[in-house]
Amino acid sequence: MMVDIDVMIKAEEVNKEYRREGAIIRALIDINLEIKEGKFVIIQGPTACGKSTLLNVLSGLDLPDSGKVILDGENISRSTEDRLARIRRRKIGFVFQDFNLINNLTAIENVESALWPTVLRNKEVENRAIAALRDVDLLERKDHFPVQMSGGEKQRVAIARAIVHRPRVILADEPTGNLDPDSETMIMNLLKKLNKDYDTTMIIVSHRDLSKWCDQLIKMDKGRIISIK
Amino acid sequence: MALRLWKKAVVLTLRSKRRFTVFTLMYTALIFWSSFSLDLTPTLGDIGLTSFFIAMGISIFLSLLYAWIITNYRRREIATLKCIGWTNKNCQAIIIGEIIFTTLSGFIIVIEILFHVVAFLGYFYSAYDPTFAASGLPLISLGSVFVTFLLFILVQLIGIFLGTRRVLKVRPIIALKKVGT
Repeated sequence: MMVDIDVMIKAEEVNKEYRREGAIIRALIDINLEIKEGKFVIIQGPTACGKSTLLNVLSGLDLPDSGKVILDGENISRSTEDRLARIRRRKIGFVFQDFNLINNLTAIENVESALWPTVLRNKEVENRAIAALRDVDLLERKDHFPVQMSGGEKQRVAIARAIVHRPRVILADEPTGNLDPDSETMIMNLLKKLNKDYDTTMIIVSHRDLSKWCDQLIKMDKGRIISIK
Repeated sequence: MALRLWKKAVVLTLRSKRRFTVFTLMYTALIFWSSFSLDLTPTLGDIGLTSFFIAMGISIFLSLLYAWIITNYRRREIATLKCIGWTNKNCQAIIIGEIIFTTLSGFIIVIEILFHVVAFLGYFYSAYDPTFAASGLPLISLGSVFVTFLLFILVQLIGIFLGTRRVLKVRPIIALKKVGT
């Protein structure tokens, strides 16, 4: 199979079903998608339209029932859990709606945690975490715990954690879902800046209209892609 | 890398203050109880042995309870770590480190208390009896404490087995679920 050299993620005929309370729910139906390197992509749609499932499948957190997902030239649709974890460690950064910081760790430790299972030396781990916190303009709060931070600050720490290992692609699931409008603008500006500075592909799932930020807008409904602009 | 994860396990354990304190103190009490029972076995026979087995039974229960609590409490954290590229083995290292460190802390407290008790009692005994020797003190022998500690580590293997099995069952996708769902 031919893979375009500048295609970061490709989904081919991806289908995914769930069984919930006895009923079969078709979460993804015949998804075909190509996301090029360095693009800022928003996947938008109403609640339960399958956008989060698509994000899970594209990141290897969930496997498709049929079809293929190719991430940076690697077919991840039939990989083992540990191999997928290693691929995520090298190539993917995650940003969550609920931030998912570890409350018992300081901001810098949360950022460093993405590098703890690597062979990097402690000093290098620390330097990279400091650089990532500087990128999100939060270095002065590096020794603060998540409970001492606002929602916007927590999300910036989460973004620093997502970029610390210099991933090829960042996947964000409703990254502004729990934030006020000002923080939303700040976070989206930051993601856009990181996308430009590091040429990192951004894939953001949202039910809100964030189309003004993106290069490519993918609209979904009832498990299908209804438009790509 | 493994050493770094173990160090972080210690940091995480110490910062979970309440859980760490409660379990360390329970292990301390159990190590005392088991060692004392072991020491009494030659003189009291079955009573000492029964008491020892009860203590070991409780320690097995506590070990399983501790492993269950930490994997339950850290479920979302483990899922998040798996999302950001931790393998099952990396996550298991944190749980194993937490269990071993708590047991070790209980043992160190027992040793510390024993040395202080020897020094304290020895000071007063020798004031009244110049011919006093520390071996004459009614204390638990260090040998029993070490034997008990080794048995405790073996018992912890049951907890470690449960903990590491539960880590395997944590799916990274849980991290993406909204809090409270």
